[in-house]
Amino acid sequence: MTTWLIAHNTFRETTRDRLLAGAIAAGVALLAVTQLLSPLAMGEGRRLTIDLGLSGISWLGLLVVLLVGTSLVAKELERRTIFNLLSRPISRPGYLVGKWAGLSATLWLVVLSMGLALCVLLALRGDGAFVPGVIQNVLLAGLELMVMTSIAVMCSALSTPVLSALYTLGFFIVGQWSYDLRGFAEGAPALLRGLLEVTADLAPNLPLFNARTLAAGGHLTTLAHLGLATAYAAVYSGCVLGLAAAAFESRDFK
Amino acid sequence: MTALSWSAPRRARFFTAWAIALVLGAAAFQIADLAYRDLPRPQPLEELSYYPSGRHLRPATLGHAGTVADLAWLRAVQYYGEHRSTDMRFVRMADVFEILTTLAPDFVAAYVFGGFALAQEGRNVAAGERLMLKGIEANPTSGVLAFELGFFYFVRPGGRDLERAGEFFELASRQPGGPPEAARFAAFAHQGAGNLGVAYELWGQVAKGSPNRYLREMAERQMALIRTALEQGRKELAIRRLGVPGVLIK
Amino acid sequence: MHGSEEGVAGRPAAGHAPADRPAGGETPDVAVRCTGLTKLYRDPWTLKVTRGLEDLDLEVRRGEVMGYLGPNGAGKTTTLKLLTGLHKPTRGGAWIFGESIETTSSRRRIGFLPEQPYFYDYLTGMEYLELAGRLSGLQGRESRDRARAWMGRVGLGAAESRGLRKYSKGMLQRLGLAAALIHGPDLLLLDEPMSGLDPLGRRDVRDLLLEQRERGVTVLFSSHILPDVEMLCDRVAIVLQGRLSRVARVGELVEDGPQRVEIRCEGQPVVALPVTLSRIERPAETAFVLEQGERLDEVLRWLIEAGVRVRAVTPQRSSLEDLYVQAAQSGIERPLREGRQA
Repeated sequence: MTTWLIAHNTFRETTRDRLLAGAIAAGVALLAVTQLLSPLAMGEGRRLTIDLGLSGISWLGLLVVLLVGTSLVAKELERRTIFNLLSRPISRPGYLVGKWAGLSATLWLVVLSMGLALCVLLALRGDGAFVPGVIQNVLLAGLELMVMTSIAVMCSALSTPVLSALYTLGFFIVGQWSYDLRGFAEGAPALLRGLLEVTADLAPNLPLFNARTLAAGGHLTTLAHLGLATAYAAVYSGCVLGLAAAAFESRDFK
Repeated sequence: MTALSWSAPRRARFFTAWAIALVLGAAAFQIADLAYRDLPRPQPLEELSYYPSGRHLRPATLGHAGTVADLAWLRAVQYYGEHRSTDMRFVRMADVFEILTTLAPDFVAAYVFGGFALAQEGRNVAAGERLMLKGIEANPTSGVLAFELGFFYFVRPGGRDLERAGEFFELASRQPGGPPEAARFAAFAHQGAGNLGVAYELWGQVAKGSPNRYLREMAERQMALIRTALEQGRKELAIRRLGVPGVLIK
Repeated sequence: MHGSEEGVAGRPAAGHAPADRPAGGETPDVAVRCTGLTKLYRDPWTLKVTRGLEDLDLEVRRGEVMGYLGPNGAGKTTTLKLLTGLHKPTRGGAWIFGESIETTSSRRRIGFLPEQPYFYDYLTGMEYLELAGRLSGLQGRESRDRARAWMGRVGLGAAESRGLRKYSKGMLQRLGLAAALIHGPDLLLLDEPMSGLDPLGRRDVRDLLLEQRERGVTVLFSSHILPDVEMLCDRVAIVLQGRLSRVARVGELVEDGPQRVEIRCEGQPVVALPVTLSRIERPAETAFVLEQGERLDEVLRWLIEAGVRVRAVTPQRSSLEDLYVQAAQSGIERPLREGRQA
C-alpha cells in the first residue's frame, strides 16, 4: 500500500515537472518537423516520419530518465525530504520500488502520448498500414525506458544527481553496444573475451527493444520477441532494484 | 511599473544594456553575413564522409541507425541536387551512400537512387554497380531492388549486360513485391542476350498471366518469333540489336 | 519509578539496571529503551572513526516528556535518527514499545519531526499532510479529514491550498508538526521543535505538547531553548560528545544544584574575608556571591564586624542553564571505544 502511495506521489511529482510538458511539446514539434522535411526526402517521407518519430520518443524518454529519474532519490536525500518518508512505517525497498513505478508510469504516459500522435500523423498521411509496427515499437520503447528507469533509480540512491546521470548514460551507451561487445568477444583472446562477455551480460540488453527498422519498412516483429522483451524488462528491472535495495538498506541519511 | 517610471540611474543602466546588446547583435549579424558570403562554406556531407565506414559509425548511433541514415539521406539528396545544378562533381557521393546503406541496409531507395546517380551523373558505373549489388545482398527478397538492378544492367552506360539484366528481372518476377512488368522485361533481356529458351518460357508466362490483351498478344508474337528462329537454326532472327547506352544530361 | 533516577554518566542507579530487564518485548511502562546504542562513522578514505553516539543506555517512560539536551554535534539528532530508522546502529539496540528499531513496524506509533524539515514543494500543504497521514496508515477519507483538522489546529487553515514553496520557515515547521501528529502517534520524537518559530509560535507548540502529554503521548524532544525544556519536561537527558552525561528529573537537577547566596552591601567596601567570594560592583552597592551557602553565617559575621552595611541576603537557585553549561564545560573526554561494529 505504501509502495503504491509513493508511486502515486512520484507520478504526481514528475507530471507536475515542467520538463515533462517540455518533452511532450518537443516530441510533437519533432513530428511537425518531419512533415516539413518530408518533401525533401524524395518519396521517403513515410520512412522519415516513422524513423524520426520513433527515435524522438526514445530520445525524449531517455532525456526524462536522465534529468528526472537520476535525481528522484538523490534530490530527496539532498533536500532531506526523505526523512519525512522513511521515518514512517515504509520499507526502504518499498520506497525504491514506489519511486521506480511512479516514474515508469510517467514515462509510459509520455511514450503513449507521443506514440498516439505519431499514429494519428501516419493515418492522416494515408500510411495507416504502418501503424501496427509503430505501436509495437512504442511498447518496446516503454519497456526500454522502464529498464533505464530502474538503473537511474539505483544510481540515484547511491550517488549525486550529476553522477547518477552520467552513470545512467554510461549504462545506456554500453547497453546499446551489448551485441557489438558480444561480437568483439568472439574474436578476442580468452581473458578479454571473458571481460567483454561479462560486460555485455551486465549491461542492459537494449538492442532487444529495437525494432524500429522493421517499423519503417512496414513489417511487424513477432509476439515471441515482444514476450521476450517484456520478460527481460521485468527480470532486469527487478534485479537492478534488488541491488539498489540491498545497497540502500545500509545507507545512513544525514 | 514600466522602465519609464524607474529612477534615472536604473533607467540609464537598463537602456545602456539594451543599446550594447543591439549594437553587438548587429555586429554579430554582419560578421555572420560576411562569413557566409566570403569564406569557403563547409560542404554538406563533409562531416559524414570523414567516417571510414558505416560499420564504424553504427555503434555511435546508439540504436538509431535508421534515423541517422534518414538524416544522411536528406543531406545526400541535397548534395546531389546542389552538384547536379552546378559542377556535376560528386566526389563524396559513393562514400556517403555506402555509409547510409550500411546504417540502414533495408533502405531500398538509397541503393536505387545512389546506384543510378553514381553510374550516370557520377560517371562511376563500378561504384553504382557495387552499391546495388550490396543492396540485393542485404535484401535478397526485394522485388523492387531486383527489378531496379536488372534495369541498371539493361541501361548500363558503356555497355548493357543483358545476361545479368535478364537474371535480375527474372528474380524480380518471382518476388511478391516485384513489379508486374518484371517478367516481360526478363523475357526481353534474355531474348536480347541470346537465351532464347529462357526467353520463350518467360514470354509464355506473360502470354498466360498478363491481364493486358496487348501484352498477351505481344508475348505470343515474340514466342512465335523465337520458335521460327529456333526451327530455322538462326537465333539472330529473334535477337534485336540494341545500341550502347550513354549518359545524356540536360 | 520514583526518587533519584540515574547518576552521572548515565550509569544506572541500583535496582534500575537496564540489563535486569529483557532486551525486547513490550513492558507496560517503557516507551523507548536503548541498550548500548552506538553509532560510529568511518571515513571511507582515511578510515578514521568518529563517534556519533556511544553506548547509550536510556529509557523513556510512557507518558513522560523527556528533554534531550546537548551542544551541537553531541549526538542528539543521531539518537533520534537511530530511533526512526534513518541511521543504522553500529552496535547495541533500541526498542520502541517493545519493537526493535530494525523493523519497519516499530515506526508505526512514532511521529517524527526532523530539524529544519523539508517538504515536496510541488505539493500544497493539504496534499502533503494527507500524504503523510496515508503513509502512516490512515485511510483516504480519514486522512483527508484529519489533515484538514490539523491544518487548522496549527494555524495553517488559510494556507492549505498554497504550494509549499510559498510557505515561510515557521509555516513549514508547523506543517512538520502536524505531519508528525496526524496519525495520532503514541511517541513523539522531535528534533528542535521550536526552531524557526516566533514567541507566539513557540507558545503554540508548547501548548500542543502539553496537550499531547495530557493524552498520554510520550515525548522525547531535543532543544536548545532551556526555559521551554524546564517548563515542559519531566526528565532531562544531557548528552555530550556522543555519550550520555546525565539523566534526572528537572526538579531534582535544580534542587541538587549548589545553593548559592548573594549578599548585597552598600557602597564598595574594602574588606578581607575568610572565604573566597565573587564580587560584583554595581552603582551604589556591591554584591558578594557565596557559592557554598553553608558558610553564610561566618561570612555575614565578618561583614558586619568589618562595618559593612548588609542590605539583603538572597538564595540563588541554579537554573537548568547553569547545570547544562556546567555539564558541558566539565565534559567527558573519553577515548572512542573501538569494538565490534554492527
